[in-house]
Amino acid sequence: MTISPEELDRKIKEAQAKQSQDTGPLTTPLGRAMPAGVAKALRAATDLTAGIVVGGALGYGLDKWLDTKPLFMILLFFAGFAAGVLNIYRAEMGQDYKVGFKPDTKDTTGNKRE
Amino acid sequence: MAHSPLAQFTIKPLMPLEIAGYDVAFTQSAAWMLVAVVCATLLMTLSVRSKAMVPGRWQNVSEMLYELVFGIVKGNLHGEAKKYFPLIFSLFMIVLMGNLLGMIPYSFTFTSHIIVTATLALFVFIFATGLGIYKHGLHFFSFFLPAGIPWWLAPFIVIIEVISYLSRPLSLSVRLFANMTAGHTMLKVFAGFSVMLIAVTFGAVLSILPLIINVALVGLELMIAFIQAYVFAVLSCMYLKDAIELH
Repeated sequence: MTISPEELDRKIKEAQAKQSQDTGPLTTPLGRAMPAGVAKALRAATDLTAGIVVGGALGYGLDKWLDTKPLFMILLFFAGFAAGVLNIYRAEMGQDYKVGFKPDTKDTTGNKRE
Repeated sequence: MAHSPLAQFTIKPLMPLEIAGYDVAFTQSAAWMLVAVVCATLLMTLSVRSKAMVPGRWQNVSEMLYELVFGIVKGNLHGEAKKYFPLIFSLFMIVLMGNLLGMIPYSFTFTSHIIVTATLALFVFIFATGLGIYKHGLHFFSFFLPAGIPWWLAPFIVIIEVISYLSRPLSLSVRLFANMTAGHTMLKVFAGFSVMLIAVTFGAVLSILPLIINVALVGLELMIAFIQAYVFAVLSCMYLKDAIELH
């Protein structure tokens, strides 16, 4: 079975017109199968814990090295919590992991970044 | 129960091997990684062999994967997208194949082991950090001090930013590992309910209920398998973007 390019073009246009009536702008099947919210939710939990764990571990390491138990572990545990909250804040504000608070202005492709 | 829900994650050596005192046996985990690489390669090469203008099913699959990942890379790295696309695509495919092959009964999910995901994540982390230092020299470390903050806040911010930066590989690896482990454990637990219920009165009827849940869970797990590979690729891209652009 062969379809001429013109025929194919017409069929694609038809399908696109039909789809834009149904669901707004054309999206890929993969894009629709993947709610952005789910991906975001899956990220938030690990982002928070990762900050705390890294902070605690760094503090523990410093304490072992400098023999200052438990000073750094307590300090860096809370700093880690702050870092975790910051991670989530940035992800939610659409700045992702960008260090610093400048909003992302370079993404002009219109792609959802989730 | 004879079978713990966690028994499925046991590493079994297929071919014992020892080099310089280290146990480097070829395990079933390594075997499935090999299968994943072979599957990914076959999928991407065989499916586009005919180079049809009207793609068939398989060609459609590989084109969709390609476009999906290229979209991520392009959205983050813009002009330099082509340079880093092979890296991101390889990462995406190995994670995707690992997750999806793990859904086949009796197979093994190598992404459910933290050592595997941590290796992938550390590779991305070290590559991105190295790239940042290579591109920007010592200026890279200005990354940890956002512009325009008051001087008395700087020490706190630097500490928090450094921890935030170091937490990346951990969160990247734990996310994938935890999702895979939790999902497969849950499947096994519900499958175990089905088996155990058979022993009670009306058990044969009741045991259908966990089975129904399991069918839904398999669907959910397939979605998670895909989303996790996608998230892994997206985040890897963002780390590269940060290293390249700084701010």
